[in-house]
Amino acid sequence: MIKSVLPSEIKEYLLAFADDEHLMGQQHTEWIGIAPFLEEDMAFASIGQDELGHASMLYALILEDSSKIDAFIFNRKPEEWRSCQLVESNHRNWEEALIRHWCYDMAEDLRWELFRESSLPELVSISERALKEEKYHRQHADALVETLLTVPASQSRLMKALEEIVPEVVELFSSIPGETEAISSGLVSGKYCDVFSTWRSRVENRFGALDSKLFTTSDHQSRTKRHSDFGPLYGRIREVFLLDPKAVW
Amino acid sequence: MRIYEVFLKADGKEEFRHAGSIEAPTDELALVLARENYARRAEGTHMWVVDRENICVSEDGFIDANLNKSHRHNDGERVAKWRKSQRNKKSDD
Repeated sequence: MIKSVLPSEIKEYLLAFADDEHLMGQQHTEWIGIAPFLEEDMAFASIGQDELGHASMLYALILEDSSKIDAFIFNRKPEEWRSCQLVESNHRNWEEALIRHWCYDMAEDLRWELFRESSLPELVSISERALKEEKYHRQHADALVETLLTVPASQSRLMKALEEIVPEVVELFSSIPGETEAISSGLVSGKYCDVFSTWRSRVENRFGALDSKLFTTSDHQSRTKRHSDFGPLYGRIREVFLLDPKAVW
Repeated sequence: MRIYEVFLKADGKEEFRHAGSIEAPTDELALVLARENYARRAEGTHMWVVDRENICVSEDGFIDANLNKSHRHNDGERVAKWRKSQRNKKSDD
């Protein structure tokens, strides 16, 4: 595939990933100053910044010009986003935020792995860079969860949060617009949903067997529709930008 | 929670330097938290994280005896001055 102009289906496909990364990064960074302990709030926000970095590399590829990213983020209509519910949901308590971080990062490296042999050289290097960081995101999430699971009160809070979050992760893996074209052009090596079983085993290895129903929930909305929590989230993202939309940053 | 001291080393001949401290419940979490708190902006290429309990601390006064030994303080200034004067003497000859 030739880099210069990516077909619109391919852009649509990459946009889903970029928007997921961007909103996940935004949600993590919102814990700065309020996570349970000082070291963790800094670490969590720093991991969020890594995700924002991944998003920006993907946006630059889609827009063919990194100087257009800000306008694209701040001026897009909600219906033009392609994020999934998991990254839009307003999980405001710490155990949900931590479980979402664990679940998302255990799914994210599997997504980047699909680009390792992409026909688009830029994607190969972006995925290599992202995978280096994801190793430590997973280690951070897993070490913290492992420690907290040894405390009975924490364990029950985490398990309750897990039951909330897992069905949303199922939607993350569901078919992505443009995926067929992305596979046939060699951009990506396979369907994301094909690695879902790997993610599920990671979950059950760490937390024990869960009710199968949690993994088959089909009660999700398409990536073209926004979850009700998107509005307030997008409001927070645009809060400073809207003070003076014409300002040059 | 335990307190860990974090040391970073830049690439090349730089020595490990104390970067700060961190509170963490396990060694592994100390490493990952130190990574994000002290090394997220490429501040180093190597990192040590040491449980403060494992640091041998000298008792008060243990090294005070070395504070007033001027004969140990040689900054080389007198030798350099003497050698310079010898050089100048030679060139005058």
